[in-house]
Amino acid sequence: MKRQIPLLIVIGLGLLFVVHTFVPHKISEDFYEWWQTWSKAISPFMVLLGIMSLFMVHSTKIKRKTANWQYSFVTLGGLLITAFVGFMWGTREGTPYMWLFKNIQMPMSATMFSLLAFYIASAAYKAFRARSVEATVLLLAAVIVMLGQVPLGAQISHWIPDTSKWILNVPNLASKRAITLGVGLGITATSLKILLGIERKYLGGD
Amino acid sequence: MFGTISNIVAAFLTLCIFSFLYKDNPFYKFAESLLVGVSMGYAIPLVYENAFIPYVYRPIFLQNKFLIIIPTLMGVLYIFRFSKNLSWLSRYPIVFGMAIVGMFVPMSLNARVLVQMRSTMLPLDNINTILIFIGVVTILMYFFFSKEHKGTYGKISNVGIWYMMVGFGASFGYTVMARISLLIGRIQFLLGECLGLIK
Amino acid sequence: MSNNKNIFWDRMQNLDRRYIYIVVALAIIIPLLIPFNSKTYITEPVENLYKKVDSFTEREDRAILMCFMHDASTMPELFPMEVSILRHCFERNIKVFTICFLPTAAPLIDYAINTAKEVGGFDVQSGVDYCNFGYKPYALFLPILLGMGEDIAEAVETDSEGRKVENLEIMKNLKNYNELNLVIDFSASASVQTWITYARVKFGANIGAGITAVMAAENYPFLQTGQLVGMLGGLKGAAEYEKLVDVFASNNVVFSKEIVKETWIPITDKNIPYQFKTARIGMNAQSVAHIMIIVFIILGNIGYFVSRKSKNKELG
Repeated sequence: MKRQIPLLIVIGLGLLFVVHTFVPHKISEDFYEWWQTWSKAISPFMVLLGIMSLFMVHSTKIKRKTANWQYSFVTLGGLLITAFVGFMWGTREGTPYMWLFKNIQMPMSATMFSLLAFYIASAAYKAFRARSVEATVLLLAAVIVMLGQVPLGAQISHWIPDTSKWILNVPNLASKRAITLGVGLGITATSLKILLGIERKYLGGD
Repeated sequence: MFGTISNIVAAFLTLCIFSFLYKDNPFYKFAESLLVGVSMGYAIPLVYENAFIPYVYRPIFLQNKFLIIIPTLMGVLYIFRFSKNLSWLSRYPIVFGMAIVGMFVPMSLNARVLVQMRSTMLPLDNINTILIFIGVVTILMYFFFSKEHKGTYGKISNVGIWYMMVGFGASFGYTVMARISLLIGRIQFLLGECLGLIK
Repeated sequence: MSNNKNIFWDRMQNLDRRYIYIVVALAIIIPLLIPFNSKTYITEPVENLYKKVDSFTEREDRAILMCFMHDASTMPELFPMEVSILRHCFERNIKVFTICFLPTAAPLIDYAINTAKEVGGFDVQSGVDYCNFGYKPYALFLPILLGMGEDIAEAVETDSEGRKVENLEIMKNLKNYNELNLVIDFSASASVQTWITYARVKFGANIGAGITAVMAAENYPFLQTGQLVGMLGGLKGAAEYEKLVDVFASNNVVFSKEIVKETWIPITDKNIPYQFKTARIGMNAQSVAHIMIIVFIILGNIGYFVSRKSKNKELG
């Protein structure tokens, strides 16, 4: 029963959604509106999952004094202070909450990803090798697209951006389309399996 | 003055993260832990203001729509996700959202399969259309594993590999551009906003 | 001599990665400190999106929706696009809406609107010329996306300032995707395909994409089918749009291929505020960095072939 009822809900509501997609009747519209209102009411509680998971991971780290456990205080402190400041002084422009976001979250988040520039340069030097004919083709395409995207490429010769454009619009398009078709068929099949109750992994154990 | 202090804090944390390039160190670990905490803490008041108040509190307490109590209770069931014995209760809010796959099946089939196929089967009246058609077919043949890739079939599916290599090369070229852009953004911040060297 | 050569290339092969990092940093810092003028050529996906946005000029019954589906991590690529499109809308009196489904994107919307408004000196009013729907939880992405196909005000309910959307002046002639005829999704993920799958298939909405360069190559099939009306890919896309706004929108001129080919806007021009040419300045550094990466690839490969040749010799 713990699995069957949720499965029946997915199958039942899912089939109603199939009908809703094709039949623009008043009842079908009402069903959709009802689902929308209920989904909206459920939505705020999803954040609980994230908070609980973070608390559990870090409190366990502190309790067991695992490697670098001291930094868990920083994580939990950051979470509590930011949330407190948001509830206390609001979330509008000019509040301490916004200051925390603009001067702590934003620069760190952006910098974290910018590290990848260094790693990709290092990888280009140390790992991007023309070991085979296929790898050479990949390498050449990459070099042409790289040059074709920047103003310097066009200044060297108009052939560079033109070839880059052709690569993107023809062979790249064909390869991405074939992959899109494969992915499209794959996710449609998986969705169909969920709809028919064959795929049940998303329900978790037991 | 306040602006300068703000910039110093942001620049210090930026440099803390960059310090990882030299090697892992306490400054980086501090910044990384702080980022996780602040990001999560940041979401809580926003969700409360933009979802809990308009979709739960207001309908139930101000508009007396008491039926909303049912989905609210369903939402609360999420907290049992981490309980050993009661985790099955958290399935209810999940399946309620999952039901939309019923709409996804026909729509996705249309957007990702039918329209894509139609645009591949255009009249083969110019070289590029022919090349696209050959590329799509040969790659699909390459991914068809029910037949051994030998002889003529193997040669045809090999053409697909060449197409894919060009595609991956294009993706790599674009990826380099993306990663460099992110670093440019941070350096523009340090040199421009903090030091005022870019005008 | 040959032995020395081999030692040199062996050393180069095992070069400490931190030297590479220093070169990367210098390749970006120097062109940013010493700006030079470079030409930005316009590509079709950007041109098409520009033309589509521009076709809504002064229309009361048309509007665009900008969906900010990213956080600060990809801001250097996406933020200049957002500012340019907002600037285009403010210049040409085009109604524009903004929305986000990630909490960390909410302040970016305010930041983008304020930058376009204040730096450009536009006299535009929230609720009249533009409207920020603000942050909505991600779980509501689909319900709102689909709901807007029927009734925007009902789906979104309130804007970022807590006002009822249905009471806002901007909504006077707008009901659903028939009027909100262009959705531009700014993201570092495949969220634009969700807009295509639902808003395009079910309601026929026009979809545009402002995406990070990582995702750009994936979207070419959708451009050819017309499922995407246009696309800005990475910093280059942003630089192109900046240029188009400078050449056409800010001079109240309708797009023309001839003009764009002939016009040359030096980025060192002090009349263009820094915030409106960030992407173009960044593209200078991008040029140098790409050359550097290509040099890295060539050096790495020379080292690889030289050491492979000497190993083969040793083995006889």
